[in-house]
Amino acid sequence: MRARRQIQPKGAEEGIALLISIFILLLISVVAIALIVSSGTESSLAGNYRSATGVYYAGLAGLEEARGRLLSKNPDAFMTTNASNFLPPPGTALNMGDTYYLINPIGGEAITPWDTSSTYPDNQFGVEFGPSSFAAPTNPSPTALSVWNRNPLQSLNLPGPLYKWVRINAVSEKSLGVDADADSLADSITPLYFDGVHFSNNPSAGPQVLELTALAVLPNGSQKLLQYLVAPTPLNLNFNAALTLDGGNMQPNVQFIVPNTSNFWVSGSDQFSAGSCNPGSGVVAAVGYTDPSDSNITSAIHSSPPGQDRRGNYTNLAAPTPDVVPVTVSANLQTVAGLNALVQTIKQNADVVINGNATQSSMPSGMSPTSPMTIVVNGDLTFNGWHSTGYGLLLVTGTFTFDPDATWNGIVLVIGIGELYSHQGGNGQFNGAVFLASTDPSRPPNFDFTSSSGSNGIYYSSCWIQAAMPVVPYKILSFHEISQ
Amino acid sequence: MNLALSDKRQPGFTLIELLVALGIFLVITGAAFSLLGTAQKRYQTESQVLTSFQEARLGLDQIVRDVNDAGYPPPTYFDSSKPLLSVSWPFAWSPGYPNTDCQIATGGGGNCTTATAGDTAPGDFDLIIETNPNPQDPSCIPDCPVQWIRYQLQNTTPLPTLMRVVSDKTNGDPDTSTAGQLVPFVQNIVNTQVVQNVTNPLVAQYQAAYPAIFPGGAPVPIFSYFCDNSFPPPQTVLCSGTVTDNSPEKIRDVMITLIVAAPLPDATTGQPRLVMLNGRGRRINPNH
Repeated sequence: MRARRQIQPKGAEEGIALLISIFILLLISVVAIALIVSSGTESSLAGNYRSATGVYYAGLAGLEEARGRLLSKNPDAFMTTNASNFLPPPGTALNMGDTYYLINPIGGEAITPWDTSSTYPDNQFGVEFGPSSFAAPTNPSPTALSVWNRNPLQSLNLPGPLYKWVRINAVSEKSLGVDADADSLADSITPLYFDGVHFSNNPSAGPQVLELTALAVLPNGSQKLLQYLVAPTPLNLNFNAALTLDGGNMQPNVQFIVPNTSNFWVSGSDQFSAGSCNPGSGVVAAVGYTDPSDSNITSAIHSSPPGQDRRGNYTNLAAPTPDVVPVTVSANLQTVAGLNALVQTIKQNADVVINGNATQSSMPSGMSPTSPMTIVVNGDLTFNGWHSTGYGLLLVTGTFTFDPDATWNGIVLVIGIGELYSHQGGNGQFNGAVFLASTDPSRPPNFDFTSSSGSNGIYYSSCWIQAAMPVVPYKILSFHEISQ
Repeated sequence: MNLALSDKRQPGFTLIELLVALGIFLVITGAAFSLLGTAQKRYQTESQVLTSFQEARLGLDQIVRDVNDAGYPPPTYFDSSKPLLSVSWPFAWSPGYPNTDCQIATGGGGNCTTATAGDTAPGDFDLIIETNPNPQDPSCIPDCPVQWIRYQLQNTTPLPTLMRVVSDKTNGDPDTSTAGQLVPFVQNIVNTQVVQNVTNPLVAQYQAAYPAIFPGGAPVPIFSYFCDNSFPPPQTVLCSGTVTDNSPEKIRDVMITLIVAAPLPDATTGQPRLVMLNGRGRRINPNH
């Protein structure tokens, strides 16, 4: 017995248990692996979609930063942060083939898109501009750091968008594959311009069209290439009179009350300098109205007795006096929808928007001849005893009660209620243009400077109009994602 | 010594020991195989759901990208003599395209109709995007035509299918020009029981199993539209009859909802399995 116990192999007794254990473990492992693979694939699919969405918005963030920083009044404008080493001075067109990069290095990585051997090369430029003489980006190209690599954001260590670079360059007929001048030729060396409706090869047609191309790359390798075409689109504000009463076909007629004082003038002669701008020889009407049935408003102007004949005070020094005539305003000012759209556009680009009634104390202190501002009062505005001068574009949607102690240099738009009152004395005046329009068809615009009112009147000034014209953002002319 | 001992007869297991061991073995292996069978069924079901999920994800991603690119290139690129090289409108419609617009309404309303009964474009289950997805295509430069990308839900067996087509823009009607070219894109869509006035009875079973997804049994539109609202804010509002201008020209956002069924019900419970995905595409290009 003793020998048998010694001879019996101990392992043979446990073999069946081992086999069963291994078998069961195998089964459980198969099931576990299947579940892991299943959930892993699902996570991967969800992750892919998240990456695709994330990298899309990262690229869009780069495009928007570049578009925003092209705007001169942006605190981080390229012309402020990179005044001498990036884009050419304002008003100077970009040359074909010149490339400028907004770069967003993360963690100190090198971003040199013009280098084809770099981590994030710009291979798209050659696709669009090759095989012409602009087959590759400028080497090296001027660069500007993103706001995420500049203070104050840099010091905050905030995780910014993961775009790598945004290229800024001019475009041509050939690069876009268009024939802007319908000459059946694809011009590769002439930059394109935007006339407000179409592209053009003519530099005088309008501002230059710029192409913004953004590359965004996520750490997992997801990447997208997005592209904008942008151009600044100035407000279509042309004034054909020093004072315009936009009445449309409203009934009753435009209200027009003017003082019987010798120092109140409405002049359509271009005058007053602003900065380096000098007035030209052009003239506009003194007072213009858009509805021919408003011609009787001239009766408000005193013509007698001879010593109080004020008709000569409404002049442009060329047309017969009183120069109160029908005028045509631009198409966007002829409809309520167009006027509302204009108000919205100005509001979106204003320096100051005051919602509710306001007084002179609401006027920003930063206004100056060299820094005119766009101010929107979404309500009534009342000046009273304000012995000061405003500069810029003033838009009032309610009633504007003016105290002629003040002067305004620039553009005054009273659109909405369309009422401009002045019932006090003073020697202030408007230099630029004044425009009144009502968006309520049953309520015509009302210009009411009572006979006791002071004020030296309204004087057309193209220089102040130009200085006060708001800077509007670069409009997106087109967008698309570039297939890679 | 060892040889001598090995020659001796060794006692085996008793019958009781064998029966007990065999019983334990059977119980354990039975349990193991049962677990394996369940796991296989589960794996089979999950694989099908996963396939549907993947197909729907890819489909959703493509739709979102197409909507984002809608309207490229805008008419600012070209003169009116080349209307086929730039878009007329980011989202095409029928009838009257591109000169006479129609009105979108939810629930298949409005007057954006097509030649197919019970179908509207743009509508809850039909969308025609106008864009140039690949303007740098070497085969067509410099006159790469704009294309119509259409998504339309059609009733197929056993479950409806979201169809897709990419077709060159023509001077004709977008609906009739693309109608015969649609190919399957995402299968087993159960957003609605009634597709182009035809009821799919199988969809009802899926909808009944998920009342939270189909409150009241109402269909869930694949495409919901938000229109530009110029004044006053908000900037976009749901395109419906209450909006002054709810024409396709005003579409800004397209909300996409895909409810996709796995081809077979759950192997263990017998319940149908659904995947519901949501996405949003936003038109950035100008609308004209």
